[in-house]
Amino acid sequence: MGGVEDDEPPSKRVKASTEDLRSPFDNSSRSVPISPLGGSMARPLLSQGKDDMIGSKGVIKKVEFVRIITKALYSLGYERSGAALEEESGICLHSSVVNLFRKQVLDGNWNESVLTLHKIGLSDESILKSASFLILERKFFELLEKDRVMDALKTLRSEITPLGIDKKRVHELSSCVVSPQQRLLLGFANLGIETSNSRLKLLEDLQKLFPPTVMIPERRLEHLVEQALSVQREACYLHNSLDNSLSLYTDHHCGKDQIPSCTVQVLQAHHDEVWFLQFSNNGKYLASSSNDRSVIIWEVHEDGELSLKHMLTGHQKPVLMVAWSPDDFQLLTSGMEEAVRRWDVRTGDCIHVYEKGGLGLISCGWFPDGRQIFSGATDKSTCLWDLDGKEVESWKGQRTTRTSDMAVTKDGRWIISICRETAILLVDREAKLEKLIEEDQTITSFSLSGDDNFLLLNLVNQEIHLWSIKDDPVCVTRYRGHKRSRFLIRSCFGGYKQAFIASGSEDSQVYIWHRGTGDLIKALPGHSGAVNCVSWNPADPHMLASASDDHTIRIWGLNRAHLKCKEAYSNGVADQCNGKGQ
Amino acid sequence: MMDLDPRQYEHVIVNDSDVRNIVLSYLVHNCFNETAETFLACTGMKQPVDYLVDMDKRKSIFHFVLDGNALKAIELTEQLAPNLLEDDKDLHFDLLSLHFIDLVCSRKCTEALEFAQTELTPLGKLHKYVEKLEDLMALLAYEEPEKSPMFHLLSSDYRQNIADCLNRAILAYPNLPSYSSMERLIRQATVVRQFLHQELSKDGPPTFSLKAFLKN
Repeated sequence: MGGVEDDEPPSKRVKASTEDLRSPFDNSSRSVPISPLGGSMARPLLSQGKDDMIGSKGVIKKVEFVRIITKALYSLGYERSGAALEEESGICLHSSVVNLFRKQVLDGNWNESVLTLHKIGLSDESILKSASFLILERKFFELLEKDRVMDALKTLRSEITPLGIDKKRVHELSSCVVSPQQRLLLGFANLGIETSNSRLKLLEDLQKLFPPTVMIPERRLEHLVEQALSVQREACYLHNSLDNSLSLYTDHHCGKDQIPSCTVQVLQAHHDEVWFLQFSNNGKYLASSSNDRSVIIWEVHEDGELSLKHMLTGHQKPVLMVAWSPDDFQLLTSGMEEAVRRWDVRTGDCIHVYEKGGLGLISCGWFPDGRQIFSGATDKSTCLWDLDGKEVESWKGQRTTRTSDMAVTKDGRWIISICRETAILLVDREAKLEKLIEEDQTITSFSLSGDDNFLLLNLVNQEIHLWSIKDDPVCVTRYRGHKRSRFLIRSCFGGYKQAFIASGSEDSQVYIWHRGTGDLIKALPGHSGAVNCVSWNPADPHMLASASDDHTIRIWGLNRAHLKCKEAYSNGVADQCNGKGQ
Repeated sequence: MMDLDPRQYEHVIVNDSDVRNIVLSYLVHNCFNETAETFLACTGMKQPVDYLVDMDKRKSIFHFVLDGNALKAIELTEQLAPNLLEDDKDLHFDLLSLHFIDLVCSRKCTEALEFAQTELTPLGKLHKYVEKLEDLMALLAYEEPEKSPMFHLLSSDYRQNIADCLNRAILAYPNLPSYSSMERLIRQATVVRQFLHQELSKDGPPTFSLKAFLKN
C-alpha cells in the first residue's frame, strides 16, 4: 500500500486518513509504547523508546512537550513558526479532524461543526452533548443578533431542547427569544461587534470540555512556567523583595543581600535615650519617642532618606510609646505615668490630652475604626475613650505595671492584652470568648502580626516566642541569640510577607531571624548602646529602623555595593527590589 | 336562634324552602341554567331577579375559558362586568397566559411569540409575575410542550381553576356571593367540627369528612 519509502525519516511519512479517524484512545492495536495521540496522528506505528521521553529525568513526553511549544508559538502569534514546527517535528498540534472542527467553529459553520464533533472520537456522551449545546447555543444567539427570530426559535426547539441537558439554560434561552432585555442580562449583547474574538472564546470553552489531549489547553506552557516560578519563590528562604518578576534564566533564590544589613542613615536629633519607634502604616513616616520627653516625626522620602518633620514637645515625662492612627493622620503618644496626647501629623499640633484623674497612664493604642483609643494605667486598669475624651469603658487587670501592651485585631473583634506576668489574654468582644496564652517566663512585650494570626512575645529569659492565635493558641517557633537582662527590649515582624523577625538587644546589635525556621540570619552592629526597639517599614521590605540608648536612630538598608554588582550582570531588566534606590 | 344541645341533632327542624334555595344557589353558581329552570318549574319557586339572565353569559364565558378561547372569554367578561379585569390584574394575567398556552398547544409559534412580546412581557415588570412568565416563555422551547417540565400549565385542571376564579369574580362583581351556599355550609361544618375536635379531643365529634358523611 502506501508507497512509503523505508529510508525516509519517520517524521516525513504523512499518511492519509484512516488513521486520522481512529480514536486517540483506541489502544487495542498497539504493541509499542503509546503516544497520547495514538492513531489520530500522522506517525508510523514504530517509535523508538528513547525518542519518546526527553529531559534528564525522563519524565517529559516528547510529543506533549512539542505540542505545548507549538501551541505557545501560535498563541504568541507566530503562525509560520508554529506551522514550521509542526512540519519539521511531524507532530501535529491537532489531528486533522480537530483542525477541521476548529475551522468550522471559527467560520460559524455550526451544523457541520456538530457533525465533525461526532467524528473526533470522544467516547463520553455527556461531553458530546455539552459541546453540541455550546455550539448550538452560539448559533442561536448569532441568529437572534441578525434578527432571524423564528430561525433561532427553530434551532432552540428542534436542536437544542432535544439534547435533554441543562433545562434551566434552555428556559433562559426561551425568554431571550421573547425579550431583548434578557439577552443583555445573560451577557450576550454586542455579539456582532467582536464575532471573531467571541468565537475564539467559544473554542476555549469547548476545549475545556474535551480531554486535554484532543485540544491543548490555552496558555499551558505559561502555566507550567508560572508554577515553576512559584515553587522557586516559595522555596526562596530569604526572599525579601517586592518585585514579583523572576528571571527564567536561573533558579531564583535570594541571598542575604536582600536583608537590610547596612547602616544607611543615622538620625541624631534626640537628646537622650530613644526608647520607642514605629513606622506609620503606609511607611511614609517614622515616629520616635525618647527619654528627652519629646517625640519626633520623621518623613521618609522617595529616595529612602529620612528627614525631621516635626518635633512634638509637651510631655512632662519621658515618652514611653507612640501609636499611629489607622489612617496615619494622627499619632498618640504616652508619657511615663503621665498623660496620653493626640497629635495631628501634618501640622505637628497637639489636638487632645487624655488624663485619668490621679492615675498615671503608660500605654496607648487605637481601635481599628480610628474612633476610639485605649490606654493602660499604673493601677493595672485599661481605659477606653472616644476621641473627644469621653471615657467609654474601663476594666481592671492583673498585668505588670511596667508595660501594658495591648492590641486590637483589624476587624475590631479581639482585644489582646497582658493579663498576668506570664500570660496573655485574648478576648472576643462579640462572642464573649476568651483564649489564653501561658508562658513559663514573664512576658515583657508583644506585637501582633499584620494578618492578626500570630503574636510575637518577648520574654524575660532572652527568648522571643511566636504563637499562632488563629485557633487554639500554640507556640510555633522560638528565636534566640539576642541579649536582654535589665531593660525592656522590643521585637517586630517585617520584610516581604512578614517573613522575618527583628529585635533589639542589650549588646547594641540588631538581630534578624528567619521567621519560619527560627534561624538567626544577621546580627547588625553599629549602635553604641542597647537597642531598645526596632520597626520594619511595612511598605519597604528593605528598610529597618532601630532606636538605641546611644541617643540615635539607625536606618538599615541593603548593601549598595552588592546591588550594583548584581545589576551589572542582569539581563537588562531592572533587577532591584524597589525603585527607591537604596 | 335556638339554644341547641348537640345531642339534640335529630330534633333540628330543617325548613324545606331553605333547602330548595341551597340547591338553586348551587345550580345557578355553576350555570346549570336548564336544570335550574326545570327545578324552579317543579318546585314552583319564584325566579330570583336577574340571576338567570346573567347565568347564560357566565356559562358561555366559563366554557370559552375551558375550551381554549380565552380572548373571547375576556371580551365577554368586559361586556358583562366592565373594569373587572382592570381591577383584578392577577386574573387578567391568568387569562392572557391561557391564550398564550392555547397558541403554543396549537403549535402557532409565530403568533405565540408575537402575543408574548406585545401583551405578556409588559406585565413582566411586576415582580410577582416574573417567575410565571419565565415558565410560560420556556414552553416555547419545546416542540412537544406536553412533555416539558411545565406540562401542568396545559392540563385541564389548570384551566378549570382559572375558569372557577373568573366565575367567582364575576359573581362577586355585583356583590353576589362568590361561593354557593352549599359550599359555604360544608365549609362551616368542617370548621366547626375541627374546632370541636381540637377543644374536646376524644370527647368531641370527629373531624368532618364529606365522603364519610355521604356514605353514612
